[in-house]
Amino acid sequence: MSNINIDGQKTNTYDVIVIGSGISGGWAAKEFTEKGLKTLVLERGRDVQHIKDYPTTNMYPYEFEHRGQIPLVVQKENPIASRCYVFREDAMHFVVKDNEHPYQQEKPFDWIRGYQVGGKSLLWARQTQRWSDFDFEGPARDDFAVDWPIRYKDIAPWYSYAERFAGISGNKDGLSELPDGEFLPGFPLNAVEDYFKGVVNKKFANRHVISARCAHLSKPNQIHLDQGRAKCQNRTLCQRGCPFGGYFSSNASTLPWAAKTGNLTLRPFSVVESIIYDDKKGKATGVKVIDANTKEEMEFFAKIIFVNAAALNTNLILLNSKSSRFPQGLGNDNGQLGKFVAFHNYSARISAEYDGLKEFSTDGRNPAGGGYLPRFRNVYKQETNFKRGYAAGFSAYRSLDRDSSGVGETLKDNLAKAPLGPWRVGSHMMGETIPKESNFVSLSKDKKDAWGVPLLNISVDYDENDHLMKKDYIEQLTEMFTEAGFTNIKANESSQAPGLDIHEMGGARMGHDPKTSILNSWNQIHACKNVFVTDGACMTSTSTQNPSLTYMALTARAVDYAVKALNKYEI
Amino acid sequence: MLPSCLRDSGKSSIALTNIDVSLEQEQLIGEIAEIIIPATKTPGAKALNLHLFTLKMLDDCYEKEEQELFFKGLDALQDKSQQQFSKSFQKLTVPERQQLLLGVEKDEQATPELKKFYDIIKSKTIEGYMSSKYVMTNLVIWELVPGRYNAYYPVKSA
Repeated sequence: MSNINIDGQKTNTYDVIVIGSGISGGWAAKEFTEKGLKTLVLERGRDVQHIKDYPTTNMYPYEFEHRGQIPLVVQKENPIASRCYVFREDAMHFVVKDNEHPYQQEKPFDWIRGYQVGGKSLLWARQTQRWSDFDFEGPARDDFAVDWPIRYKDIAPWYSYAERFAGISGNKDGLSELPDGEFLPGFPLNAVEDYFKGVVNKKFANRHVISARCAHLSKPNQIHLDQGRAKCQNRTLCQRGCPFGGYFSSNASTLPWAAKTGNLTLRPFSVVESIIYDDKKGKATGVKVIDANTKEEMEFFAKIIFVNAAALNTNLILLNSKSSRFPQGLGNDNGQLGKFVAFHNYSARISAEYDGLKEFSTDGRNPAGGGYLPRFRNVYKQETNFKRGYAAGFSAYRSLDRDSSGVGETLKDNLAKAPLGPWRVGSHMMGETIPKESNFVSLSKDKKDAWGVPLLNISVDYDENDHLMKKDYIEQLTEMFTEAGFTNIKANESSQAPGLDIHEMGGARMGHDPKTSILNSWNQIHACKNVFVTDGACMTSTSTQNPSLTYMALTARAVDYAVKALNKYEI
Repeated sequence: MLPSCLRDSGKSSIALTNIDVSLEQEQLIGEIAEIIIPATKTPGAKALNLHLFTLKMLDDCYEKEEQELFFKGLDALQDKSQQQFSKSFQKLTVPERQQLLLGVEKDEQATPELKKFYDIIKSKTIEGYMSSKYVMTNLVIWELVPGRYNAYYPVKSA
C-alpha cells in the first residue's frame, strides 16, 4: 500500500512555486517555464483569462447603467476602493472590495488591491521608465535607507530583456537621468505638450519634457504577435482588459506564454498562508495554502519559491512564515522585515489653461497619456531643503466650450455642436519618499481574515520631507507654467492618504548586509537562499519612476540567477 | 414626498430601490425633461428615456436628503406653475413651460428644493442625452476603437 502522504507530496511537488500572478509573478512564471522548470503559480483570487474574462471591454458608455459612476451604496460600502480612479462601473470587478479583505490602518492608508489572475497588471497605468544610477546611488549619496546592492549596469541588460518582450513605446531621449531602452515608436506629444517642452528646454537648465514611455504596442514586433497580441488601438479603455493585448499584462502576455511551454500549473483561489521552512534541510520546502472557496488546507512543495504577492502581501506572508529557525518571520533575523516601507508622493497636481495654438486639437486618443518630466531636483547634487525629488506627468487637451444654459432646441444644438475652447493643461507629481523604520507593516496579534491569516496592520505616513517636496513641486511647476504663458494656474493639494498612489514598496529590502536588509543583490533572502522576493517588497528606495518595469527586470534577472544556482547545487 | 395613498394609482415604469415614484410623477418628469431636450428633427428626452435615466441616477447615486429635496422641488414647481399661470404644468403650453423652467434657472433666490430639483433634472437630462446611443452614434461620435492618435489635428482657430 502506498503511503498517502508521500503520494500527496509527489503530486503536489513542482520545481518552482511562484506566489502571485501579477506583473512580477507573471514574469517569474514565464522565465522559469521557458527554462524548462515545472512551475506552480498560486493566485489567491479567481481566474481571469485574456479576452474571455473582460466582460466590459467592448461596452459603450450608454451600456453602463450609471454611465460609469459607482452607485452611492457601493461607494459607502467601499470608501477605500472608491477613492481609486479605476474603481468605476467598467473595472470595479477587478478591484478588491473593502469588506472582503479588511486590514488595519494604524494611520490612514488606502490599500488598493487586485485579487485575480493578473493582479493589478490589468489595471496599471502602464508607465515604464528605467532607473539610472542617480536612483540606485541615492540612498548612499543622500544617507538614508541602505545602499542598493546593485547598480544600473547590473540591471540594464535585464531592462532590455524585459522591454523587448513586454513592448515599450518611447523615444530615445538621451537623458542620463532616464536611460533609453529598447523602444517601439513613441507616441507623439501634441501641439501644446511640444510647446511646453520647448519652453522648458530653453528656459530651465537640466529639465526635460519627454513623451511618456509606456507598455503599449505602438508597432508590434514578431515577439509580440507570437504572444497573440496586436497593435494598440488607442482605445484607452485599458482598465477593462484589452481584447487586442495592446498593453502589457500578465493575462495577455507572460501567463499564456508560460502556459504554452507545458510547464505551467496555475492554481487560482489559493491563499498562501505561509512558507514552510525545514529546520533540518536549512531551507524552505514549500508553502501552506488555504483554498479560498473550501478553506481546505493543503501544502505544495518546490525547490525554489518566488514571492510575488504584491509588496505588502509579500511582507504579510513572510512575517507569517514562522518556524523555530525564524520565529519573527522568514528571513527576519534582524527584525527589519515589514519596516522601511515607502511609496510615491502623488499628493499635488496643477492645472491651467493656454490660449494659443488654437489651430490645433487632437484626434483619436493617446495611450501614453502625454508628457513626462523626469526628476530634475537634486539629481547631480543636493540643492534644496528636502531630500531627493519628484517626476511629473504633463498633458494638454483641447477643451470644449459647452454652453449648457437655457432649455429647448438652442440648448440641444449647443450641446451637440460645442465649439472648441482653450487648451487645458495638467500635471501631477510623483515624489520619492524616504524609507523609514517608522513606516512599517506588521501582523495583527488577534485579528484574522476569513482564511485564518492574520490581518495586516499598516502604519505608513507622509513626513516633513514629503511636505517640503510638495511645496517645491507646486512652486516649480507654477513657475514653469507661468513662463509658458499658461493662465488660470491652480494647484490642488489633495489630502490623499499614502497607498492611493498604488506604488507601495519595501519591507523586505535588498542590501549588502544581512544585518540591515532582508534580500541580497539577487533578491534572495540572505538567510534562506531558495526563497526570492522580486515584487515591490524588495525595493530599497523608491526613486520617482513608476516601478513595474523595474520589477519585471529584477524578476527576470533573479530567475536567471536562481536557475544557475540550482544547477550548481547552490540552492 | 407625497404619501403613496395620495398618488395616482400607477407606479413608475422602472424598478427603483430607494425612491418611490408614481407613474404620474414619472410622466411629469418626462414632460419637464422634454422641455429641456425637446424632440426636433432628432429625438428628444422622452424618446431617449432621459427622464428614466434621471430617475435611475436619482435612485442610485444621490443621498436621501437630495432625493427628498428633488421631490419637494417637483411639487414646488407645480405650485409655481399654479401661481404664475393658474394652471398645472401639464396644462401649460410649451412656451409657458419653457418660461417657467427658465425662471427657475435664472432665479438666484429660488428655494433650495427648487434649485436642487432643477439642478438634478437638468444635469442628468443633459448627461443622459450626451451619453445616449443616439447622440454617441449620430451626433457626437464616440469611438470604441479609434485606432489612431493625431497629435496635431488641424482645426479652425476659434
